[in-house]
Amino acid sequence: MKELIKNAETINRLLARYGVKFGIYKDGTFKEQLFPFDPIPRIISNGEFQYLEKGLKQRVNALNCFLSDIYGEKRIVRDGVIPEEFIYSAKGFLPPCDGVTPPKNIYSHISGIDLVQSKDDNWYILEDNLRVPSGASYPMIARELQRRSAPDAFSSNSVIDNRNYADMLKEVMDYVNTGGINVILSPGRYNAAFFEHSYLAEKTGAVLSTGKEIVCENDRLYYIDYLGRKQRVGAVYRRISDEYLDPMTFYEDSVIGIPHIFEAYKKGNVALLNAPGNGVADDKGIYYFVPKMIKYYLGEDAILKNAPTYLPYYEDDMRYVLDKFDNLVIKDVAEAGGYGVVFGSSLSKEKKEAFIQLLKSEPRRFIAQEVIDFYDLDILGTDGTQVPRKADLRAFVLTDGETKVWPSGLTRFSRNPDSFIVNSSQGGGFKDTWVLSR
Amino acid sequence: MFLPQDTSRQTISGLSIHISDKEDYCVSEDNFGNKKLYGLIEGTHDRFNVTISGEAQTGLDIFEEYTANPSAYAFLKAQTPLTAAGDCIRKYHRNLELEKIAGDYDKALCMMNTLHYTFTYDTEATEVHETAENALALGRGVCQDYAHIMLSLLRMEGIPARYVVGMTLGEGASHAWVEALCNGYWYGFDPTDNKLVNADYIRVSCGRDSSDCAVIRGNFYGCVTQRQTEKVTVSEKEQEHD
Repeated sequence: MKELIKNAETINRLLARYGVKFGIYKDGTFKEQLFPFDPIPRIISNGEFQYLEKGLKQRVNALNCFLSDIYGEKRIVRDGVIPEEFIYSAKGFLPPCDGVTPPKNIYSHISGIDLVQSKDDNWYILEDNLRVPSGASYPMIARELQRRSAPDAFSSNSVIDNRNYADMLKEVMDYVNTGGINVILSPGRYNAAFFEHSYLAEKTGAVLSTGKEIVCENDRLYYIDYLGRKQRVGAVYRRISDEYLDPMTFYEDSVIGIPHIFEAYKKGNVALLNAPGNGVADDKGIYYFVPKMIKYYLGEDAILKNAPTYLPYYEDDMRYVLDKFDNLVIKDVAEAGGYGVVFGSSLSKEKKEAFIQLLKSEPRRFIAQEVIDFYDLDILGTDGTQVPRKADLRAFVLTDGETKVWPSGLTRFSRNPDSFIVNSSQGGGFKDTWVLSR
Repeated sequence: MFLPQDTSRQTISGLSIHISDKEDYCVSEDNFGNKKLYGLIEGTHDRFNVTISGEAQTGLDIFEEYTANPSAYAFLKAQTPLTAAGDCIRKYHRNLELEKIAGDYDKALCMMNTLHYTFTYDTEATEVHETAENALALGRGVCQDYAHIMLSLLRMEGIPARYVVGMTLGEGASHAWVEALCNGYWYGFDPTDNKLVNADYIRVSCGRDSSDCAVIRGNFYGCVTQRQTEKVTVSEKEQEHD
């Protein structure tokens, strides 16, 4: 461990040289920031990982069932488990996807599930990311560099090798591939996660492409290489959000998408990872219903708990929320990345009243959650001492013929001692995540 | 580009399709049941023409009976960014006092009638992507705005409703109206002309709002000034007797 701490600065310097950055748009300008790496790993015991693994697989399987149902028969709505307002008014519900079955009926191939551990050692699910979850490349490259700087640390501590992520990802792409090459579709170098796109392409052997090098002809997709040769594309791991994917079906002004790619997908001629329309399942309003989904589709009780959540949409919950307002955190369901999060206790009297008015006029727009007392993880402070900080864990769950959990993950922490918000877009840092083999 | 197609109210025959410099194209059906024509031109070109002509027999069965799984169309009850109600529409809705009217069909008639007389037809007032709320605040607009406002009102009442693009007798541009699901049937209402949709109407496409059924949609690479014109001609033909 000492070895790791000693090399922390070198590793951060190397990460900077490799371009391990993420970009953020702030006040209309694009800025790239380094993603600070902390050398003290989060350690998850083997028994604990097995428990998480079981719970995560269950959750992702149920979410895939839900997506297949919502864009198909809609049994869960008909049976009254989820009110239809929560489905059809969700921004992520895309009517063009209705009735479209993706190759092998898999919707969420790569799921990023965010969890936190509370002080009483319980794990809670914070949110599901089923659209374009990013972040796997950061622990991958950090581990690669750390193995070089302190190779013994990993074998002597029985840390499970996590260098298999690229293989797992390639297997998923190959499994749904409809014939042709695998492509990672990036919006380009100004995207926040461009480092990740290029790194994953390199590691999986997929072609890194932007929309300009791909055409759709007669409902088939072709990649045009530097010599102008056309190669059939069978699977697209697209790192472009649904709205921008196809200007002919979704947002008309998109210049980073591929015209008519949706038609090729609809006719079964290409696989898209993840499937368009997944936003309906990772909507913050739908989150409340995931344990019910697990019961409904799998007939099981949820292994991993949601953070206690209230829907002001229901009268009883609204009463509770107004009553306990100061103890709760309120989230706008349409926002992501740590935006639109309000802690009841942090508002001034006027702001609180205005917010409650808004809550009453648009109850469907918000969820309220109990503030979880996070279990703190130590990070290395600027003066070399260890200081506790709030942290979460993004687990990566991959689905091909079966669902698997990557024995690692992205541990993000808040650099601000008073903050609960760990998102990288809000200035957080990351750690390696060790899963032990014993 | 959408193609008109057979419904319970119309049959289409003798379609001829001409696309400039292009022999082949693809056809696909979207989940609203619209038939879409599309393709790709790789070479440089400075114009792009599509001409479609054909015959439509209208005035068949008056209204389309609704048979599908009810939840399959449930998303037509949800507002879209273009139809979302703001203060203006909410106030307008309150003033209609629809709670005094029994039956969705009569409510829709009331909306159509009131909208027709309180909203002014004006081709200069609104833009292509105007929201229903803005249009109503302006008090004037085109058929698209009439339709969006009526959709917003219908959806506030929980009545599934869709936007329809089509043609009417005469010459000019395409027209837009709405269809609402009342008592198990899809009825067509044209708030611009305060008319129930009849044999003078040919339906081309439908969707949640105008953005689902733009007559033509496309993009190109190039740095040029773009001009688009649209011409619709519908003339009457007597039915031939054997």
